[in-house]
Amino acid sequence: MPERVIQPYVREELDGRDIGEAVVGDVERRLSVWERVSNIDAVRKLSVLVTLVVAWELYTRISDINELMFPTFSSTGTALYNALVNEGLLINVWNSLSLLLTGYGIGVGIAAMLVVFGVWTRFGSDLLTTLTAMLNPLPAIALLPMAMLWFGLGPAAIVFTLLHSIIWPVALNTHSGFMGVSETQRMVGRNYGLRGLSYIYKILIPAAFPSILTGLRIGWAFAWRTLIAAELVFGGQVADTSGQLGAEGSSAGGLGWIIFQNQMENQTPYVFAGLFAVILVGIIIENGVFRNVEDRTIRRWGMQIG
Amino acid sequence: MATGSEPAAGTAGTTPAVPAAPVLDVDGVTLQYKTKEHLITATYRVGFQTYPADRFVILGPSGCGKSTLLKGIAGYLHPVEGEMRLKGNAIRDPGPDRCMVFQEFDQLLPWKTVMGNITFALLNGGKCKSQDEAREIAHEYIRKVKLERFEDTYPHMLSGGMKQRVAIARAMSMEPDILLMDEPFAALDALTRRQMQEELLQLWDDTRFTVIFVTHSIEEAVIVGSRILIMSPHPGQVKAELNAHLHTHDDVGGEGFMALQNRIHGMIFADRVLEEETQPQHA
Repeated sequence: MPERVIQPYVREELDGRDIGEAVVGDVERRLSVWERVSNIDAVRKLSVLVTLVVAWELYTRISDINELMFPTFSSTGTALYNALVNEGLLINVWNSLSLLLTGYGIGVGIAAMLVVFGVWTRFGSDLLTTLTAMLNPLPAIALLPMAMLWFGLGPAAIVFTLLHSIIWPVALNTHSGFMGVSETQRMVGRNYGLRGLSYIYKILIPAAFPSILTGLRIGWAFAWRTLIAAELVFGGQVADTSGQLGAEGSSAGGLGWIIFQNQMENQTPYVFAGLFAVILVGIIIENGVFRNVEDRTIRRWGMQIG
Repeated sequence: MATGSEPAAGTAGTTPAVPAAPVLDVDGVTLQYKTKEHLITATYRVGFQTYPADRFVILGPSGCGKSTLLKGIAGYLHPVEGEMRLKGNAIRDPGPDRCMVFQEFDQLLPWKTVMGNITFALLNGGKCKSQDEAREIAHEYIRKVKLERFEDTYPHMLSGGMKQRVAIARAMSMEPDILLMDEPFAALDALTRRQMQEELLQLWDDTRFTVIFVTHSIEEAVIVGSRILIMSPHPGQVKAELNAHLHTHDDVGGEGFMALQNRIHGMIFADRVLEEETQPQHA
């Protein structure tokens, strides 16, 4: 129990103070060169890459490992350069990409229709959530055997498999994005007379764009992996049946085909070069396309921070 | 039983000529909405008329259905009983002839700039045919709310007060038959809130729009309103309709202002005490 009750100290007021220029230190100070450079994302990531490459090169040289098992970084680099300049690797890349884009376009279209149906009717919504819950966990590549049976050894079988890897993540994310659009924004849209498709197009899609973009990204990544895997399987099929895709020479196939072909010929540096091409395409699409879209939309709108 | 709809003409001065027809006629409206487990009657046989240039405040404690009533007028909810008529036509759906200003800051579309948010309303609401025309009108209203410098700014860069000003400009630019404001200043800090009340009154002085303003602050009701509808909770019913057209910021704390405020306080508080007495005392 405190003896004394503390009273507030009543002191003189401070009023009409003349506020001059603040002279305490700098109001704004430029960071040092090192701080500024290390704040650049690209610089930091590049240094990680350089470290990894140096470690790889040193390991393969010092350990004297068989070139067939694990090539050095330099021979992989030379192989990649060679493949790009002399052996038309870009054509293989394009073969893969064009197949992917076909599948992506059709897949996003189907996903969009499913979601619109899900927005308009309760049955559509139930159908969509049930289908995605069932089919999303199924790896698309597992459908390839059936697809080959139904569509034969051609691009149609691959596109069918790709569709499966695109539709579900895109539909799932778009649908949950739509569900999460705030009640206020919905009411604003209806207040100004938006109905039906224009309501979806002008309110739901932009408001749910962060999730939609996530869905498109996941769909793309799944599809890219599925495509390479499918091409590898095709490589095996073609080798077995000595026909079709490989018949016109390696330039007819995609990147997965190239990886398979070079492995058959014990050209390990070229296998690595093929893997690199797969990674590079992935990075270029991610940074060149998705990152760009993100910067121009949800970042600019303050819907995503960072 | 205390549904005295007879307006007490106490503080009113001279009575102006009665306008021919009300802008909005709410006639015995009962509104219900469903939650996951209950059907809730938000308002029970509520009736009132709003005339041109009214600053009509709906005041009541939380749970008196005032926001629900406003959503009903906006057309988001359909009455189970009674009818609401805007200029004689029954209200069925939301429409740009009744523009709503919400409490939530996210009522601005984050993917559109200040200018874009307003032209969006003008173009989709059917007030303007061309982008140029919409921009011109939008510009005028942005100037009215003193945000010229922020025309091309995205909402996430604005403060709460600025966002509400854009929302008000957007709703006003449509020149609707009636403006609906659902506690538009409730999420603002006290200083900004006061400033916004003043600006709203100035805008009203300029254009004499008709507005329904929902609030749970007695002071705000007396400052902003020219007429105050007081509702009692569970379910919302009309308790009184008072005149407050003589009071603004200038006489906050003045005798008449305080008298009216105390009178309203008494009405709302009487309910509260009763409610607390009838409920078993927990915690």
